[in-house]
Amino acid sequence: MIGRNQSSNSNAASPFRAEDPVIRTGTVALVAPRFGDGVIGGAEAVMAAVARGLAERGIPIEMLTTCARDHFTWANEFRPGSTKTDGGIVVRRFPTVMDGSQADRDRIGNRILAGETITIQDQQRWVNASLRCPGLWHHVFDHGHRYRALVFAPYMFWTTYAVSQIHSRRSVVMPCLHDEPPAHLDIYRSMLEGAGALWFLSEPERELAMRLCNAPSRQEVVGAPVTVPTSYDADGFRARHGLTEPFVYYAGRREWGKGWQDLLAGFAEFTLDRAVGGGGLKLVTSGVGEVQPPVGCEQSVIDLGLLSDHDRDGAMAAAAAYVQPSALESFSLTVLEAMAAGTPVIANGAGAVVSHHLERSGAGIVYHGTAELVECLNFVADRPAAAQALAVDGRRYVLENYEPTLVFDRMIDTLDRWFPGDRPADQVDVEHVGVG
Amino acid sequence: MLLVTPFAPYRDGIATYAVQELRRLRADGHEVEVLSPVPSAAHHHLPFGGVRGAALLVKRASRYERVIIQFGPELLFGRCRAATERVAVWTSLAAMARTTRLDLRLHEVEYGPLEQNPAERRAARLALRWADRVTVHTEPERARLAELLGSVTNRIEVIEHGVNFVSAITCTGPEAKAELGLPADEFVFLSIGFLQHHKGFDRAVEAFSLAGLPRSSLHIVGSGRVDHPDIGRYVSSLERICARTPGVELHNRYVSDDQFDLWLTAADAVVLPYREIWSSGVVERARLFDKPVIASDLEQLRHQLALGRGGTWFAAADVGELAVAMEKVWSGAGYGHTDDGGSASTSSSSASNETGVERVERRRTVRPLWDVDDAAPDRGAIQAQITARARTSQNGDQEVLVAAPTVDRPSGGERPSAGLQSLGPLVIPEPVSARPGVTPVKQTVRRLTGWQLDPMTQRLAALQQATVHAVIEMETRLEQLSEALDDSTG
Repeated sequence: MIGRNQSSNSNAASPFRAEDPVIRTGTVALVAPRFGDGVIGGAEAVMAAVARGLAERGIPIEMLTTCARDHFTWANEFRPGSTKTDGGIVVRRFPTVMDGSQADRDRIGNRILAGETITIQDQQRWVNASLRCPGLWHHVFDHGHRYRALVFAPYMFWTTYAVSQIHSRRSVVMPCLHDEPPAHLDIYRSMLEGAGALWFLSEPERELAMRLCNAPSRQEVVGAPVTVPTSYDADGFRARHGLTEPFVYYAGRREWGKGWQDLLAGFAEFTLDRAVGGGGLKLVTSGVGEVQPPVGCEQSVIDLGLLSDHDRDGAMAAAAAYVQPSALESFSLTVLEAMAAGTPVIANGAGAVVSHHLERSGAGIVYHGTAELVECLNFVADRPAAAQALAVDGRRYVLENYEPTLVFDRMIDTLDRWFPGDRPADQVDVEHVGVG
Repeated sequence: MLLVTPFAPYRDGIATYAVQELRRLRADGHEVEVLSPVPSAAHHHLPFGGVRGAALLVKRASRYERVIIQFGPELLFGRCRAATERVAVWTSLAAMARTTRLDLRLHEVEYGPLEQNPAERRAARLALRWADRVTVHTEPERARLAELLGSVTNRIEVIEHGVNFVSAITCTGPEAKAELGLPADEFVFLSIGFLQHHKGFDRAVEAFSLAGLPRSSLHIVGSGRVDHPDIGRYVSSLERICARTPGVELHNRYVSDDQFDLWLTAADAVVLPYREIWSSGVVERARLFDKPVIASDLEQLRHQLALGRGGTWFAAADVGELAVAMEKVWSGAGYGHTDDGGSASTSSSSASNETGVERVERRRTVRPLWDVDDAAPDRGAIQAQITARARTSQNGDQEVLVAAPTVDRPSGGERPSAGLQSLGPLVIPEPVSARPGVTPVKQTVRRLTGWQLDPMTQRLAALQQATVHAVIEMETRLEQLSEALDDSTG
């Protein structure tokens, strides 16, 4: 077991090491709704990591994205136009447009969530009523043929739905699917069926896609890269934040869709139960969104806001357990980061992907409903050593499946098989691209 | 330049056409912005479709040197509630034509209101007269407009439907076959498009089966519009027909533009046995790839195919002629001859030296075509034909064609399931009317009530289907029991 404050060399053998000067012709475009500093989101984080990883391995990468940072407002916070990162990634930003009818989106969206049958016309109206990015669409329409392949994620956003269909044969959709009502819409079924290829983050996600659509034959479970730190500063983290008691940790978006309110409800019940007997746990959280701790739990819920990567790694290692209340995960990077840190996971058992991770690794427990969540917390509080022992194989599971080199190798292998680099390396001229 | 149109990512015929035209205009060096009636990938959107929208459109158009409108009734008149509003929209178009260069691409025109309202005819005539260019896709449309609007006939130009089409892919036929997993040495017939009754892909299956061509396959590629129960039923039926017809494969899936072209590249011939069609984009794309087209002998298709690119096409009045045409194209490609110089023959051909056409004709004689009225099918007559055809299959020809398994009627009279099967499906009437202004009202009512009615009709259809299946199953089991009883006692 790799414990806290320990080191390990996580690099596995690979034909594509970062230092190898592998040159491949043809730019690969990654299309994501958001990219850049301060962007919170699982799929966005995966796309950013993929961009860096592929660029380091000699593949010319362009990140085509919007000017938005926040997925609630979609306000244009970044400047439109083209820039180049230190890692050699060309980033092209296009302004978002949010002038669709919110009433339409809410009305149809509520019906979608209720599982009603929605006409194709209403589905199209719904997807066009939120964030749109016509400048991005027209850029890909005019220049898309010059890219070797275009990778899109996640499935639900307009940037994937509208833009992936322009040069569909060269579109690789990494849908990041969850089994949620929108995933069953006809518009997404046609998008997935029409894609040139699909990348999945996990086997359960692939199985879900096969149930939802007649998926193209070019498909692969590539996973997502999990950067495993060589060391963790758990003690330093506790000291910096004055944390002396054991705690469970949640990192990410504090919002309804992520099960945050359910976690708070379970944690409040747990805290109430333990108020008499003592021996409780704190709930430490970082990320974005309103925390809103329940009455009586204000002192037990500690919001650290946005943390640096170093601090977040420390939190993962210092926690008695990591909690994943979301049932709608297509990969759950944070769960794998916790496992890599040797920390046991408590997860919502309704999530197929996280359950899959835990079944294969044995590195955590799942709950169904608030009562079971409370008991999971009780278990960690009562038997911390046993909980810790559960996590023993978590790091190995992550290294064997999601170590970045392995993931990038799988991605590069599929790109080479599906889109051999036979296209002219006529990169899009940075200076002459409009931003519409 | 401003392109006014329904636009991507909406997927309808006009939006797809507009995307193709945008690509060509930009390739020609034009700076083009797109204006759509609802939020889309267009640069701008305005709620046109009524009088206010038309006024906004006139104002917006004045900023551009040239405006191209992809003209369809929903786009320009979708919000009109009264005949006077339609007149106002036409008048706005006329006004626009006076202030800017206006191209009207007439994809579809509602003739009813034009026939009924002289004021609308006058306004339309002005708009068409003052427009810089007015185009339609077929001669019958031009003739119809000429009949209605008279003096502007010479202003209306007929252009190829596929004038803007370019290939989305560059691979060769063998490469496309390999990518799709099709045998390189097999002649591939292709029927592609949305799976709907009026597309008649079931007739392609029947014709393919009738033709009985070795080293060939028929691929039906497309998806149904799943939100309509009628189409769901048709697709289910097509699935059953394809499943029991050797050499036929149904690829029931959404087809992207790229995949569409990949299939066309792989195909050796395209079979379009439409029951009805106004203008076919598939025909144009097939011609783009120089593929022979075997199509129903419909007036609109004849006119469409007579224009532009040319190409090879075979008109077929019925399934038998479709089969004969398939045989001709197949043998014309050299598949009618074996490597040793002899004529290829089907496994079931009784006369080894007959030609393919003779064989098809013989099969037609042996197995007559379906005698069924699509509008009012007589179930008893169909049942009798099924029995006869199945018997022919077993006795006169080894191949089993499109024949459902049948069970002889019990002597006591009609089977109990017959009444259930003769019940037509519950279908919600289409929200259309010939009376001006009524269609939008009906459409609104349909939209407002659809969330309640659609699930109910779907559930009813499923219940009806399940009931029929259950009763047939019971009948079959009872008959088996009865036969077993007879055997044991007799």
